[in-house]
Amino acid sequence: MGKQLYLVLKNLRRNRRRTVLTVLSTAISVFLIGSLISVYAVFFDNEVREESALRLITRHRVSLTQALPYYYGARIAETDGVVRICPMNWFGGTYIDQRPEHMFPRFAVDQEAVFEMYPEFKAPPEQIEAFKRDRQGLAVGKTVADKLGFEIGQRITIKGDIYPFDPELTVRAIFEGPDDMQAFFHFKYLEEAVGPERGTEVGVFAIKLRSASDASRVAAAVDDMFRNSPVPTKTETEAAFQLSFINQLGNIKLFLLSIACAIMFSMLMVTANTVAMSVRERTREIGVLKTLGFQPGSVLGIVLSEAMLISLVGGALGILITVLVNQALSEVAVQFITGFRLPAWGVLACFATAILLSVGSSVIPATIAARTNIVDALRHTG
Amino acid sequence: MSANVAVSLRGVLKEYQRADYSVRALDHITLDIASGQFFCLMGPSGSGKSTLLHLVAGIDRPTNGTVEVLGSAIGEMDDRSLARWRSQNIGYIFQSFNLVPVMTAAENVELPLLLTHLSKRERRERARSALEIVGLGDRLGHRPQQLSGGQEQRVAIARAIVTDPSIILADEPTGELDAQSATDVLTILKTLNANHDKTIIMVTHDPRARQYAKESRYLDKGKMTEMPEIQ
Repeated sequence: MGKQLYLVLKNLRRNRRRTVLTVLSTAISVFLIGSLISVYAVFFDNEVREESALRLITRHRVSLTQALPYYYGARIAETDGVVRICPMNWFGGTYIDQRPEHMFPRFAVDQEAVFEMYPEFKAPPEQIEAFKRDRQGLAVGKTVADKLGFEIGQRITIKGDIYPFDPELTVRAIFEGPDDMQAFFHFKYLEEAVGPERGTEVGVFAIKLRSASDASRVAAAVDDMFRNSPVPTKTETEAAFQLSFINQLGNIKLFLLSIACAIMFSMLMVTANTVAMSVRERTREIGVLKTLGFQPGSVLGIVLSEAMLISLVGGALGILITVLVNQALSEVAVQFITGFRLPAWGVLACFATAILLSVGSSVIPATIAARTNIVDALRHTG
Repeated sequence: MSANVAVSLRGVLKEYQRADYSVRALDHITLDIASGQFFCLMGPSGSGKSTLLHLVAGIDRPTNGTVEVLGSAIGEMDDRSLARWRSQNIGYIFQSFNLVPVMTAAENVELPLLLTHLSKRERRERARSALEIVGLGDRLGHRPQQLSGGQEQRVAIARAIVTDPSIILADEPTGELDAQSATDVLTILKTLNANHDKTIIMVTHDPRARQYAKESRYLDKGKMTEMPEIQ
């Protein structure tokens, strides 16, 4: 094995530029695959937190864009197993301008309920109280506050687009927690500003359960309650809701898989061509090795090992790049998507991709090299 | 086969099949070469000299007839056994040296020893000794592109003798060398034959090479013929 590795390393140094370029192209393809896995992990591989397991989301059965009547909240709250409800409206709007660095999600919520509904959002009690007391108060996540330089007492204006109203808000609380990239203001402020007709429309109701085991029963009970009404509901766990929200973008899984396959296939062709070229150049040398007594299996092993080593080094480099890029992205955040990470199974998948690339691309050239007739190999010119 | 016969060919026929015709490279050759012989096989291009050498080395198989080398009927061995046998018994010198360009002279010479169980130190030591025999003890770390043609061929000779094989096969060893380098190489081969008791079988165009051999034969169109008068 050591002797074979010696030959492999010698051969890889034969054309250093080609070796480096092949390693880099493998690294880039593994980085692309790793990035796709990271995106997949953001969407589909999030751990359900304990707090999240206690929450349901009720929305219009037909679409998220259709609103529910405000009074549904009182009826949902009476359902056995429900501890608290919180109406939430996506406000949208523009802060300063449309540039990505100025974007953050803004929700009109029940100020009394929101921090009970999301206990993972932590803020000093006096700030939470100040937020509750001020009708124009704004509670903003720390990530947003840090990014935009918000401070307690700062006044900001959001230009409305969905609603014909520009809320003027004062930062009263800065909360920390997972996904603290959003901001809340009073539902009542919105209601008073846009009038009773639109002001009593609710996008979704967040429901806090007594126990996670009540989830399916409560969801069924809520939906049954409004089944034959003009505005039927769909109630699901928070995780399922997030997933259905994502699926509105399309079949993301198929999309990611298609891109991954396209990358794999193109890289397979490129690497196979490189390996084949390298083997073809050494045809005569392979004949010499066989003349000296090297077995066909040794020749096969040398060629395969060369491709394997290139792929493993390229794979490790690709994974390193993915991790570094994910770290950078997790700091700046892309739109509203946070938590880019390469899970452990993703690292394994990246290495598997690299190995698959190496074996797939070299098995045919290696077999041809191993089977080449010695006399033909020695006569080879080129 | 007599005990002092190193190579014995009996009725050896070698034909190469092409798409719509066949080429007869060797036509029923019968030949014995004694152990310790410096045998020179001459003949024009395409006469079958290299083919005969390939058969003796076991890198090609006859269409018909038997090839016995050092008492082994190599035509009956499978490829794995033949490769192992070749690594232990045959040293091969090519016309175009065929050194590995990314390896130093010592590493090139060490190459056949990778097939043995020798330690790295032992391999290095043997490679050094082999290079000293061919007069290149001071060129261990040189790569082929840093050597002259004659020096490259001497490295190739060192590679052929490093495993201490009984038979050295040389395929046009002076074909790409200038006169002085060719003389050096032939002198080394003669020394290996005389002082190290190696059986040497050399095929060549070079008429001077004949002077170094103990026995010479002529091959033309795949058949052994009388040695022509060479100017």
